[in-house]
Amino acid sequence: MSSQQSTKSADPQKPLKHVDILQNQASLLFANLHPVLLLSVVPISFKSLVNDPVNTLLGLAPTVALVQAIYCIVCLPSTGQTPPPAHKPGQKKKSGKPVQDIWAKVVPALLSFLLTLFLTTPLLYITTILFGAPLISHHLHTILLALHLALLTTPQLFYVHGLDLSTWLRLVSLQQPVDEMYGMSLGALVGGWLGAIPIPLDWDREWQKWPVTIVCGVYAGAVVGKVLGGYVFKGARMKIN
Amino acid sequence: MADAAAIPSKADVKAQNKQRSLQFRAQHGLVVAFFLLILVFHVLSIYLFLSGFLLSRLVLQDRSECAVPPIDLSNYTPGSQERGCWHPKSFDKAVVILVDALRYDFTVPFQASAGDAEPHYFHNNLPVLYETAVKEPKNAFLRPFIADPPTTTLQRLKGLTTGTLPTLIDAGSNFAGTAIDEDNLIEQLYLAGKKVVHIGDDTWHSLFPGYFEPNLTRPYDSFNVWDLHTVDNGVNEHLFPLLEPSMAGRWDVAIGHYLGVDHAGHRYGPDHPAMAEKLRQMDEVFRRMIEKLDEDTLLVVMGDHGMDVKGDHGGESDMEVEAALWMYSKKGIFGRDGEGSLAPTATAKERPVAQIDLVPTLSLLLGMPIPFNNLGRPIAEAFHGSSKLLQPDYRNLAEVSRLTSAQIHRYQGEYAKVRKLDEDATSAPAKLWRAANEKWSTLSSSEKALKQAYEAFTLYQAENLSICKALWARFDLVSMSMGLIALVGTFAVIVMYAQGVNGDRAALTPPLLGWGLMGTAAGAVAGAALGALPIAAMPTLTAFGAATGGIVAVLLGFWPARPILTWPFPKTFWGWLCFMSTALLCVGFGANSWIIWEDEQLLFLLSTFAVLMLGASLGQADRQDQILGAVNALSFLVATRISSLSRLCREEQARNCRSSYYASATSSTSAAWQLAIPFAVALLLPTAVKYFFVRTKNYHGSAVIWIGIALRLGLIMVASFWALDSADDGDWLPQVSKDTLKTARVILAQIVLAVAFAAGYATYVWASPMLAVKTEEAPEKPQSTSKPINNEDPNAPILTTINEAPQPRSKLIIYGYANTHGTRYFLLPCAWILALILVQKPMGQGALALCFISILNLLEIIDANNLRRSPLGPIVLALLGMFHFFKTGHQAALVTIQWDVAFIPLKTLQYPWAPLMVVLNTYGPQILCAIAVPTITLWKVPPKHPGLLGRIAGQMATHVLFYAAIAVATVAEAAWLRRHLMLYRVFMPRMLVAVSVLVLVEFVGAVVAIVGVRWSVVSVGDVFGWPE
Repeated sequence: MSSQQSTKSADPQKPLKHVDILQNQASLLFANLHPVLLLSVVPISFKSLVNDPVNTLLGLAPTVALVQAIYCIVCLPSTGQTPPPAHKPGQKKKSGKPVQDIWAKVVPALLSFLLTLFLTTPLLYITTILFGAPLISHHLHTILLALHLALLTTPQLFYVHGLDLSTWLRLVSLQQPVDEMYGMSLGALVGGWLGAIPIPLDWDREWQKWPVTIVCGVYAGAVVGKVLGGYVFKGARMKIN
Repeated sequence: MADAAAIPSKADVKAQNKQRSLQFRAQHGLVVAFFLLILVFHVLSIYLFLSGFLLSRLVLQDRSECAVPPIDLSNYTPGSQERGCWHPKSFDKAVVILVDALRYDFTVPFQASAGDAEPHYFHNNLPVLYETAVKEPKNAFLRPFIADPPTTTLQRLKGLTTGTLPTLIDAGSNFAGTAIDEDNLIEQLYLAGKKVVHIGDDTWHSLFPGYFEPNLTRPYDSFNVWDLHTVDNGVNEHLFPLLEPSMAGRWDVAIGHYLGVDHAGHRYGPDHPAMAEKLRQMDEVFRRMIEKLDEDTLLVVMGDHGMDVKGDHGGESDMEVEAALWMYSKKGIFGRDGEGSLAPTATAKERPVAQIDLVPTLSLLLGMPIPFNNLGRPIAEAFHGSSKLLQPDYRNLAEVSRLTSAQIHRYQGEYAKVRKLDEDATSAPAKLWRAANEKWSTLSSSEKALKQAYEAFTLYQAENLSICKALWARFDLVSMSMGLIALVGTFAVIVMYAQGVNGDRAALTPPLLGWGLMGTAAGAVAGAALGALPIAAMPTLTAFGAATGGIVAVLLGFWPARPILTWPFPKTFWGWLCFMSTALLCVGFGANSWIIWEDEQLLFLLSTFAVLMLGASLGQADRQDQILGAVNALSFLVATRISSLSRLCREEQARNCRSSYYASATSSTSAAWQLAIPFAVALLLPTAVKYFFVRTKNYHGSAVIWIGIALRLGLIMVASFWALDSADDGDWLPQVSKDTLKTARVILAQIVLAVAFAAGYATYVWASPMLAVKTEEAPEKPQSTSKPINNEDPNAPILTTINEAPQPRSKLIIYGYANTHGTRYFLLPCAWILALILVQKPMGQGALALCFISILNLLEIIDANNLRRSPLGPIVLALLGMFHFFKTGHQAALVTIQWDVAFIPLKTLQYPWAPLMVVLNTYGPQILCAIAVPTITLWKVPPKHPGLLGRIAGQMATHVLFYAAIAVATVAEAAWLRRHLMLYRVFMPRMLVAVSVLVLVEFVGAVVAIVGVRWSVVSVGDVFGWPE
């Protein structure tokens, strides 16, 4: 790792900066709409979520994926794309080739979702099991929970950071500076964690069943995390050791 | 290392080393003493709290007398033994049979219900009681017989002979019962000159020493739950001769106490062929007894408690309290009060009688006075008094009821006088008493009026009983508050010591200890002086004075050291995480659900730590650390989850939990496949431990002898032990006698214990550090390095060149230098694990082995992330210990105590070994984790590292801090929720676990772990010299 370390220090601070969202109007508009959309998922579908978690979660997944995809494409700079230098006041925007631009965004977005589906979801499924999710029953429930958790945590990160190993190591070790997308991912995870707390209570409520509370926690956590990461803790870095 | 420039002479170095070694030994002794002082504070505070919390009842010494009835008897002259003391007697003799754990549903025909369509092994195998009650209703009746919890035999015997309610303070004394010192039926019989014979369970003899006929009485050891037949066969052998006509006149009351049903429950669970066989045997016994019984003898068969689905008891669940009572005589004097009560009820929920009701019933039937403290009421069937089966003589019923009520009233008067009770507490029953007496005095002889009088007296008895129950559920809030204050104060001391010191704790400890001892002594004297005044209790005040005096003095002792103190708040990410998880658990224990599901929460918390440690390791800059940390974190995660598959569900979890600890949910033996676990452990565990030693090149000398040979052989013996045990259970070797199997087993277990403790400690004490020194040809040019290379990288073999500059010589390579301390100390947990695994059931052995591997994983993760000074290590170890407490087949409930492990190395019950084995079994994981705590500091630190002792003390204090926090929280919550419905089922057991585990961990931490550090550090210091 010593060689890698030297390259890191030779590459001054660049990867350690937080990432801003694109500063155009559509981006800002959707970035503000995005938490509202996500937050409305739970109250709208809560009843059916409680009655039939599997089908509800399955039905919701494409919608959430779409919302997340639009968020990535519209609001976020994709991998390698230099963060927008274009918001100096007075400077005119270069309107390049719009068609190519779109493809340059859609392809990474598509890849992000493929990775989310085939890499993050299984990993989160295993993690959920390790945390004590039922081992021999409720497989579909747990898989769909993992899917939703994955949809809220990783597409934006894959989209922005690609598959750069050192960035991902920083992400998993909580050393990446906090920004909107990272905040959202962390928020979703913490929310899911907190969502497990009311399950054992003997209130005998229907909504205490697996995995309703966790799904609610994940969505609420993602939105809170996004807001906190985007405004309050922007650029902050955790000191873990 | 400072004197690298001026090389000191050999003699100087030697003298200096000697002095430093002495200094270490002195400081070490004082650190151990300081931990013991904290232990004393805790013991005092827990004593104070529990003496106020565990309910107490004043025992009145008054005795009822034959000639002094509690109330004027208008038409009967009291005082004659021949006719009956207070009421005409019905029987001269009685045979009282106690079938331990005879649950009511064992005795009635099985009735299919939803979810329970087929009869179990415990159904329909003891039909004689039901048959006779149906076929000869005048001769027999069968009723549910409800026990007052706690449902332990000792407590039940007290209830069944004194007629009064049990108090919790006695619940723990099942292992060593003491004589009953209040009025009771056995004493009454004895004093009246009746000859009482007892055969069976020897608990009776500790309760009633000297009251039984010495020639005919045969006591049997009661705690050997592995033995189903010795006691029962003995009772049969000695009881049946008594029923022969030739023996008439040699006894008046014969008590037989059968234990087979109880032991079958404990050992196999109720749903097992052994239980069916046992019940059939009992059936046959009672049929024979009926045959032999003469006209004047009453036969009583009863259970003292029931058993839960697994066959255990002690708690207050329905199945545990529902026993059966059957009375039989050939006189035909029993009856019923109507069609509805003709046949025995199908379940124990209908028409139950309380167990204390036996006392007045039996007393009056045998013509004895009712014991003074009795609260029970006479059972109607037994005082039927009429020749018509369904029409009781209400005059007789009203008379016995009036007598009983009057005795209760007399007792209440005395009790109120002694306790100085206010009118309120007694006004409601007093009104009922007056009303009932009025009905009696204005009695016409009409059936209806008599019935009303009878019912009025019964009402008084019921009301009185409920008042007593409420009254004796009274807590001594003063004592409880004292205990809580002392507990919180001790907690403050530990917090400061563990997290508030930013310097060398070892140097700070001596003054703290000095202050503490003086404070304790002064406080004790002050408390005793105050206690000498008549207003307060002496022991309570002395204990409180000693604890608070000591605590305040220690806290004051911190004052001079304030330059090295900091606020004991978490300062790092890991610190916060540790704080939050502990706090979350503490707060959660305020709700019964979180206590019930504690095992799942601990899995959740441990996984959280493991995932974050995995992430943190991946973020390490050094590639070696990254891989080391990540792999070990993954191993930790997987080991924890696999361990979590071993579960023993508590009753409250039932709906969402499947037990896997035993063969089935209704058994308490291991399944055959589970026998593979001990063998797998024997095969894999030493190899796994060896791997961690090999990685740092420390697998030499004592490590090879202990881990490679002794531990492996020991574990193979453990596995053989459990194989033999299963062979015995399942009758796999019919040609070998049970006794041979047992002897072989016991010898194996004793050898394992000897290997673990004698050989293990000998190896540990005398081992030299596990190093290998190799000589290589030195290079041509002599090297000029003069100090050992302190390589930061712990994994590469470390190369040290020692050379005293001038002469050219060969090079020494020391293998295992980097982890000298860690591996040297780790021999101690390696010795203990063998003994701890022996006393676990097969499933628990797997869990404990995984716990051991998780500990090693944790050590590597801490090294990779350099978190030796973080609270992470001690707190995760504490979580790990608590988690595996559940994974070794325990719950925070009395029923899950595995009493039978007392017989692993013993054939008969022996003190103090039997309780010691139970403790090792119950708290094995916590003991193991506490012993592992010093390793956090010692793992992979170079030999001459300074300040180790102080840091070990800090880590141990942090470890204790976790348990202390849980203890404070559960104690406060139990006190706060003392009127909660779930107090005795949930909050109190958890509190008892918390305080007992706290005391135990503190003791083990000081006496095993920190004391053990001495040998390991001294042996390393002797080889490498002492740090400054």
